[in-house]
Amino acid sequence: MTDFLANLALGVDRAFSPDALLFCFIGVSVGTLIGVLPGLGPLAAISLALPLTYYLDPTVALIMLAGIFYGTQYGGSTASILLNLPGSATAAVTCLDGYPMAQQGQAQLALFITAINSFVGASFAILLVMGFAPVIAQFALRFSAAEYFSVMLLGLIAASTLSLGSPVKGLAMVIVGLALGLVGTDVNTGMFRYTFGFFELADGLSLVAVAMGLFGVAEILSNIGKPVGKAVDVGRINLKSMLPTRAQWRQLAMPTARGSVVGSFVGALPGTGPGIAAFMAYALEKKLARDPSRFGKGAIEGISAPEAANNAAVQAAFIPTLSLGIPGDAVVALLLGAMLIHGITPGPNLITSQPDLFWGLIISFWVGNVMLLFLNIPLIGLWVRLLQIPYHLLYPAVLLLICIGVYSSNNNVFDIYIVLIFGVVGFLMRKFHYPAAPLLLGFILGPLLEEHFRRALLLSQGNPLVFFERPISAVFLVVCMVFLASAFLPRIKLFRKQPQ
Amino acid sequence: MGKFSKFLTVATLAAAVSVAGMATGVAIAQDYPDKPVTIVVPFPPGGSTDLLARQIADKISGPLGQPVVVENRGGAGGTVGANYVAQSTPDGYTLLMGVTGSNAISGILRDDLPYDAATDFAPVSIVVSSPLVLAVNADSDLETVEDVVAFAEANPGAFTHGSPGVGTSMHMTGEMFALESGTSLLHIPYQGSAAALQDLLGGNLVAMFGDILVLSEHFESGALRPIAVTSLERHFMLPDVPTIAESGLDGFEAVSWQGVFAPTGTPQEILDRLYAEISTAMEAEEMQAFFEDRGFLVEGRSPSDSQAFVVDQIEMWSGVVDAAGIVVE
Repeated sequence: MTDFLANLALGVDRAFSPDALLFCFIGVSVGTLIGVLPGLGPLAAISLALPLTYYLDPTVALIMLAGIFYGTQYGGSTASILLNLPGSATAAVTCLDGYPMAQQGQAQLALFITAINSFVGASFAILLVMGFAPVIAQFALRFSAAEYFSVMLLGLIAASTLSLGSPVKGLAMVIVGLALGLVGTDVNTGMFRYTFGFFELADGLSLVAVAMGLFGVAEILSNIGKPVGKAVDVGRINLKSMLPTRAQWRQLAMPTARGSVVGSFVGALPGTGPGIAAFMAYALEKKLARDPSRFGKGAIEGISAPEAANNAAVQAAFIPTLSLGIPGDAVVALLLGAMLIHGITPGPNLITSQPDLFWGLIISFWVGNVMLLFLNIPLIGLWVRLLQIPYHLLYPAVLLLICIGVYSSNNNVFDIYIVLIFGVVGFLMRKFHYPAAPLLLGFILGPLLEEHFRRALLLSQGNPLVFFERPISAVFLVVCMVFLASAFLPRIKLFRKQPQ
Repeated sequence: MGKFSKFLTVATLAAAVSVAGMATGVAIAQDYPDKPVTIVVPFPPGGSTDLLARQIADKISGPLGQPVVVENRGGAGGTVGANYVAQSTPDGYTLLMGVTGSNAISGILRDDLPYDAATDFAPVSIVVSSPLVLAVNADSDLETVEDVVAFAEANPGAFTHGSPGVGTSMHMTGEMFALESGTSLLHIPYQGSAAALQDLLGGNLVAMFGDILVLSEHFESGALRPIAVTSLERHFMLPDVPTIAESGLDGFEAVSWQGVFAPTGTPQEILDRLYAEISTAMEAEEMQAFFEDRGFLVEGRSPSDSQAFVVDQIEMWSGVVDAAGIVVE
């Protein structure tokens, strides 16, 4: 315990030094901005900032780069709520209920909830990082291919609940998403699948391009032809219009708590990421809700749970990174690279060999999240005014930003064509009422499901029972079955609703 | 063997073409460089190739008198970036930080690559090489190369080894090991080496031919155990760990390498100039410390030496691919 306090003091000392505070502030500000701008994501921003940090102290450099990363999660939902344009691929879920809220004149409220819940989710995960990083990392090591497959399967089944309206159309879109996920190099054989001779497709369709096309460009296209004017009447912007009512606070509490837990769990598993966390948290809330039909029409649980989840996931992603040297997703892998540049090899010895770096970084997460809270709440008024810009001025600018953002992630013009193609596809899907969210989830989960399924069979030498023999995997499969049963047997669902 | 003789013919032709190109290149070469030079890294930022490229760019831009810019063009195991450079104008302004995968193995494994690793590049210098280390989980009973071979013989198909993907040097080293020891290993491909490391730490994989720098941390913490390194000589970071070659598989050597490449047809003067600046930069104390920190073995080969080395490597890996019967469409 005294050790813990001493470490804490060391971290506070480092994180509150003037240079650390300054670069933390720069990081979170840049992150918020990058997050708000559609198409520009943390990957591109950190790639650009990485070489600039060569001349900084390693801890300060990491504090800034990490700040960009979690800062984008705050900003990412802003455009989702206001314009139905996800600022980053992980904020696509927030469109589902955030945008309807904005259309009902509750944009300020939605943005406020987002900021608060981001903070709560992040704080929960930071506590876990501080107290239990090595323990959780060891637990994550028990997840191998079979466990990953079962978790992803649960996510996919949960996806069936994402759609509003026809379940058949929702399911069809999940399958289209899975099919699109097949494009790229087959992990097991190295073969190029469905690349049609386009070398650029060897790594599959870019997630950012697909998400920006389906949500962003499609939104812009479907507004063409509407009468010239402004989005919605935003009403008066003041503190009262932002703050949730007492009843709403109560309504928010549990979804936020569950979102934080789901997000921390998913985030701590290497190879998953905040996008999956947000989808899972949303699906869970919809499943537990007394009246699931409110979802997709502006339910506040529909933004609070995924926002808590994606921020928790981002912070929890540091658990395997800092305690094992295994990055949680592509962005954290980049941060790992940043450490290597500065001559730090992340691994099991980092916490003991570089306590000032580890604890300094963790404490800076707190500092950064508090800064983000105070940065984002005053900005709500400014962002909401965005809605008063006429569409014919706003949309061309947004379209340009999307193209720049998509290009910047791989320096590849091909991705711009992909975003435009998916814009048209997304537009047609809207016209015929096919939901985009299940497609995106199928697209994210499909390759992971396949990869882990085949690897589990390889490792077990072809024994399909491996999914049931490994206890953690078996538990998830049982949960999958409960989910399925409750979907197909409404009686069971009714029964579960009234346990008394 | 057919593949190799075809390659020789093309290589000779390409050499002839580049000699012819030199005559017109002289005037250009004298002013070189009069604008910024780009080094394309065929991976996202943050990896070891990116690091190396940035170090070199930083050190040679002063002497060259022009900025040297690093540009990341990741994708398809390095082949997207390599292809970009292969199709660039051979004027010395677009260079590639090439690796074993992009500039040797990929071309052997697949015939659908739009470039030919052997004939589309003129090496400037193979800068560094790095051996791999065969590692197992600390809970494993395997201690030596003999144990590993005995286990693989007794349990055909149960000896799993992970790699960051088909055709990576970690995968191919495993194939070479199986071939030379007369055993069969089950290759488990992952998306990236971190995912494979995760399964090795969790006890779900038997072994992995991994990066020395990354795995050292886990040797130190006691989670993993090193068995042997893949170079001919022991590695300075793991002085107590034997080589595979000294453990019964005579002459076993598999190292991955990284170097600077220009598109074929780049004037020889430019290649020589770049090589001169790179080899001067490599002697700097800061660079030596950088190599040592990261476990790199210094190569610093000249353009002609590098060319011979790459040809040799392609031949060697072709032999492994053919003998192991690895087929990728």
